[in-house]
Amino acid sequence: MRIGIVCPYSFEVPGGVQRHVQDLAETLIALGHEVSVLAPADEDVVVPPYVVPAGRAVPVPYNGSVARLAFGPFSAARVRRWVTAGAFDVVHVHEPLTPSLALLAVLSVRDEPVVATFHTAMTRSRAMHAISGVLQLVLERITARIAVSALARKVQVEHLGGGAWEIPNGVSVSRFADARPLPGWPGEGGAVGFLGRFTEPRKGFGVLLDAFGTVAARRPGLRLLVAGPGDPGEVLSDLAPDLADRITFLGLVSEVDKARMLRSVDAYVAPNTGGESFGMILTEALAAGTPVVASDLDAFRRVLDGGKAGRLFAVGDPAALASELAAVVDDPALRAELAAHGRDVAAGYDWPAVAQRVLEVYHFAIEATPRAGVGPSPS
Amino acid sequence: MWVVVGVVSAVVLVATYVTWIASRVDRLHGRVAATYSALDAQSVRRAAAATASDVAEVQTAAKAVLGAHPDEREVAENDLTRALRDASSATVTAVVEPSRRLALARQVHSDVVRDALAVRRRWLVRLLRLSRRHPEPRFFDIDDPTLDESGGM
Repeated sequence: MRIGIVCPYSFEVPGGVQRHVQDLAETLIALGHEVSVLAPADEDVVVPPYVVPAGRAVPVPYNGSVARLAFGPFSAARVRRWVTAGAFDVVHVHEPLTPSLALLAVLSVRDEPVVATFHTAMTRSRAMHAISGVLQLVLERITARIAVSALARKVQVEHLGGGAWEIPNGVSVSRFADARPLPGWPGEGGAVGFLGRFTEPRKGFGVLLDAFGTVAARRPGLRLLVAGPGDPGEVLSDLAPDLADRITFLGLVSEVDKARMLRSVDAYVAPNTGGESFGMILTEALAAGTPVVASDLDAFRRVLDGGKAGRLFAVGDPAALASELAAVVDDPALRAELAAHGRDVAAGYDWPAVAQRVLEVYHFAIEATPRAGVGPSPS
Repeated sequence: MWVVVGVVSAVVLVATYVTWIASRVDRLHGRVAATYSALDAQSVRRAAAATASDVAEVQTAAKAVLGAHPDEREVAENDLTRALRDASSATVTAVVEPSRRLALARQVHSDVVRDALAVRRRWLVRLLRLSRRHPEPRFFDIDDPTLDESGGM
């Protein structure tokens, strides 16, 4: 199959959508399909061979961070050329409701079936309401919609009067399972890991700190490994110095180091108190074969197979977390059992499996696109 | 003279807009027909897979779907879905995938029917009767046929 994928964000900036597009493209190519990815890129940037650069990206503040988008007549011309020259069997766009290449691609396509994946839960804004006519046009041209999480799908149903097929983000299991632990970790006394913005209350780092204090008091070698942006001083200022010594902050980590970090700990903790629509870090930890202890949020419970692939604790309760953490840290047999079950769950999220589900949607979209002499209508 | 130019431009613009809306109406109704025939095909595939089952209720329900009169089609589909859900999961493994594809087909068809109904309600379309060549699209009203817990809805 000839597949054209459009990514609205530039690959130079790390992000979930770009990662998803790249992994999906590489998996489809490995399965034997011809894939071309259209994405914004500056002239002098080196891109993977399957990427067609669509011109310079302009930084635009969006959704709390800065996105680099390409939009305008020059980009529109590039998009049209790519669509015409590509002779694709299906065009797959990501986040088509942002002013970007994805939106331009949907408007440029003539006969090809269009599949769209929605990654974020968009919030209604005045700007969106003002251009709702254009958005309606875009949606009409999309044959099949995919959402990566129940939350992204809910936004479709509630705000746009339509549905979406749920296919979760894939994870590259081998990249995590084969990563080497960081030197000196997990160490003799064991280690516990956390990844995320530890200064943001909803990430629940405070809950973990309390629980770690309790559990580490009676386990002299136990350490805590933290990766993610933020100032360690903010969270360490109230801690006893001997406890603070047992916490290591890695700062922002690359994808490679993230995998290594997950392999460096005996348990990964996700103490989030809310706002999680999926929990990709959980699937990554499961892929790494690391036992997971997580808050009992709906999204986490779903990923952890109802609590069988990891331990769940009452949201925001440090005592409950401490008891689960102690159980996992002290019992190697339990860790092995959780890791094994976790690997089974992660296999379902592995990119080859997810790509097959995406291909199923492609096949259906192709089948459901009008050609000359089409079949009967319902009457 | 400029009045003439102005009037001609206005007429051309209006005519372009009307042509564009008309082609949008045609395209949407064409997609309704195409997605319906794909949905029909998936339904037949599911029923065909179900006829191979050992469970008697599933077999009868599947044959009913294959031979159903158009008016009774949706009821027959729901009966088959119910029979498949009641049967133990071991006996219906061959039907899980066709059921999932049927759910996808229903999703896609419903989305385009909704869009087609919305475009028919536009005042210009009603005024010029641009949708007169197309019968009013109907939803294919069946329950969600997905069998297993995983996968989308």
